[in-house]
Amino acid sequence: MQLKKLHMLIVAGGLLAGTTFAVVAQAADAPSAADAEKAAKEAAKAAAIAAPPADGAILANTCAGCHGTNGVSAGPAMPTIAGMPTTYLQKIMADFKSGKRPSTIMGRIAKGYTEEETKRISDYLSKAKWGDSVSHANSVTATKVNAEKAKKGKKLVDAQKCSKCHEDDGLTQDEDTPRMAGQWVDYLLIKMQDFKNQHLTIPQPEKMQRAIEKLSLQELEDVAHFYASKK
Amino acid sequence: MSNITRRGFVKLTGGIAALGMVTLPARRGWSAPKRVVVIGGGYGGSIAAKYIRLSDPNIQVTLIEQNKDYYSGPLSNWIIAGFRKLEVQKWGYDGLKKHGVNVVIDQVNAIDPAKKTVGTAGGKSFEYDKLIVSPGIGFKDIEGYDAEAQKKIVHAWFAGPQTTQLASQLAAMPDGEPFIMVAPPDPYRCPPGPYERASLVAHYLKKNKPKSKVIILDPKDKFSKQGLFTGGWQKLYGYETPNSLIEWVPAAQGGKITRVDAKTMTVYTDMSEFKSSCINIIPPNKAGAIAEKAGLTDDKGFCPVNLETFESKIHKDIHVIGDACVAPGLPKSGYAANSEAKVCAAAVVNQLNGKPVGIPSYVNTCYSLISPEYGISVAGVYKLHEGKIVEVAGGVSDGKAEEFVRKQEALYNESWYQSIMADTFG
Ligand SMILES: Cc1cc2nc3c(=O)[nH]c(=O)nc-3n(C[C@H](O)[C@H](O)[C@H](O)COP(=O)(O)OP(=O)(O)OC[C@H]3O[C@@H](n4cnc5c(N)ncnc54)[C@H](O)[C@@H]3O)c2cc1C
Repeated sequence: MQLKKLHMLIVAGGLLAGTTFAVVAQAADAPSAADAEKAAKEAAKAAAIAAPPADGAILANTCAGCHGTNGVSAGPAMPTIAGMPTTYLQKIMADFKSGKRPSTIMGRIAKGYTEEETKRISDYLSKAKWGDSVSHANSVTATKVNAEKAKKGKKLVDAQKCSKCHEDDGLTQDEDTPRMAGQWVDYLLIKMQDFKNQHLTIPQPEKMQRAIEKLSLQELEDVAHFYASKK
Repeated sequence: MSNITRRGFVKLTGGIAALGMVTLPARRGWSAPKRVVVIGGGYGGSIAAKYIRLSDPNIQVTLIEQNKDYYSGPLSNWIIAGFRKLEVQKWGYDGLKKHGVNVVIDQVNAIDPAKKTVGTAGGKSFEYDKLIVSPGIGFKDIEGYDAEAQKKIVHAWFAGPQTTQLASQLAAMPDGEPFIMVAPPDPYRCPPGPYERASLVAHYLKKNKPKSKVIILDPKDKFSKQGLFTGGWQKLYGYETPNSLIEWVPAAQGGKITRVDAKTMTVYTDMSEFKSSCINIIPPNKAGAIAEKAGLTDDKGFCPVNLETFESKIHKDIHVIGDACVAPGLPKSGYAANSEAKVCAAAVVNQLNGKPVGIPSYVNTCYSLISPEYGISVAGVYKLHEGKIVEVAGGVSDGKAEEFVRKQEALYNESWYQSIMADTFG
């Protein structure tokens, strides 16, 4: 096992150094056909990763299948990511990639991009225009923003002084604070649930962590309704 | 702006039809606007048309689609299991018109690669500088599964009336009878699709007909997301126990069928026969009929293409995307069709403007449900290396994920659908 890994590294290394795969494979002692195939696959993968990056638009357009055209999501559980600062998006992608930010699927996807590619995607999306959540008639899962809950949420937000960071009722978007006004309520609700599960959330800044601990899940949900109601 | 272009274009094509002839592209002035014709307004074709217009509004794009409405395959399995309506699978072409796409509802029945024209059943003819073909799939023959048999035994592998027909057949099936599903051989549209369907039918049976079960007759010995599916089946449907609601018969155990008899509602394999009032056959796939007719297919029935541009290896200036093309590494999925369409659109725009085609990037993301609250996914990020599509990262959901994570993925599934449909038709 250890040896196999080493062999793979040699193959990939050889390729990077400009030697052809065939020569390296011959030099190592007789690997099985399956090993050789696996090594060739790994080598192709390493070479593909090292290949030049595509343009920002080409890269970012592949996100649209889930996050909507130009990052404006039409799916209630998927966040809109248009117009967020490059550095913010880059950091999120880096945290997905490293696993610091837990995820169901984004970790698998973020690992597919080099730092430069992530930068290009982030740059492109940062220039896209934010769009408030609008539910399509065909959507059967979207939660409606509840005015009653939003009202309760507003009180909680005031009491916790959330606006110290999440300025303008969550409209503010900067390097480390995400915009929440007009975001999908279903997405915000999922995030609130995650906040209550240590292993599902990234370490939060101290003040944020204190607020999460103070508020019950139901209260956090009211907060989600409040921010989603703001446009 | 786009309105004027569109009106101008309608006038132009109208004029051609009136004359009953077409002018050769060579005679057009160098400054004449470039024309792209797209065949098929599904997951691939609609995106290609839209993204060409988004990146270069000077290009005239005509989309020819045979149906007024599009019914999405993704999420249509939910209808069969009775927890979704066909109406919410329906999409139209007004969104594309807003992007200045000239949408023509007609069936293409001829492509002339030499003259660079496309002819329709409605008697119209269209010239193109670039043609993009995204007709989806057609089916290969199975003995006994003729047009008449297909009225009783549906495939439901295009969403639409067949989907609701299968749902009614399942609802009418007596408790104790098996639901027989014949899975297709590789390669085919939506690799996890048949197993999602089997899962959701089992979900329905568990509640409504507990004495019945799903029998999957498979010409393969393994399938997409297999570990995740069988894991879910064990958890929810007693898989591999005597009371299992799902029985999977792989090729090695005689799962490959040889013929069908719709009169007696029987499916035959080499070793035995299976009878039910509810049979679902997903026949072997090939590229949509028009691709074959235009000579774009290889001996396996799909269209070989250059994966940097999706230009056909057989006919110049004709690009094939989606389920119809051969794109080793990418599955035949709606998401892959979307991704291929964008790579193709960028390449076509660049080619028409005399620029290098550019570097592609592809993604696939597919969710499947094992029950309404149990979602799983597969994702991949791909780059082109030496002419081949290479997966640089990706994989399937965590095999040991907690229950509420499966629930989150089920929610993401419907959201995926909303976003990709908005991208396609919005
Ligand atoms: C049950 C089921 C579940 C699925 N689930 C998923 C999923 O969860 N995720 C996923 O990514 N994919 C899924 N898919 C696969 C997805 O539907 C296809 O991969 C996708 O539709 C391929 O896009 P396409 O453009 O190649 O073909 P299509 O979307 O089928 O579009 C082809 C269009 O061309 C038109 N056409 C064909 N011939 C002509 C002609 N001669 N003239 C004019 N118009 C013509 C057709 O009417 C059609 O509208 C599923 C499929 C099924 C059946």
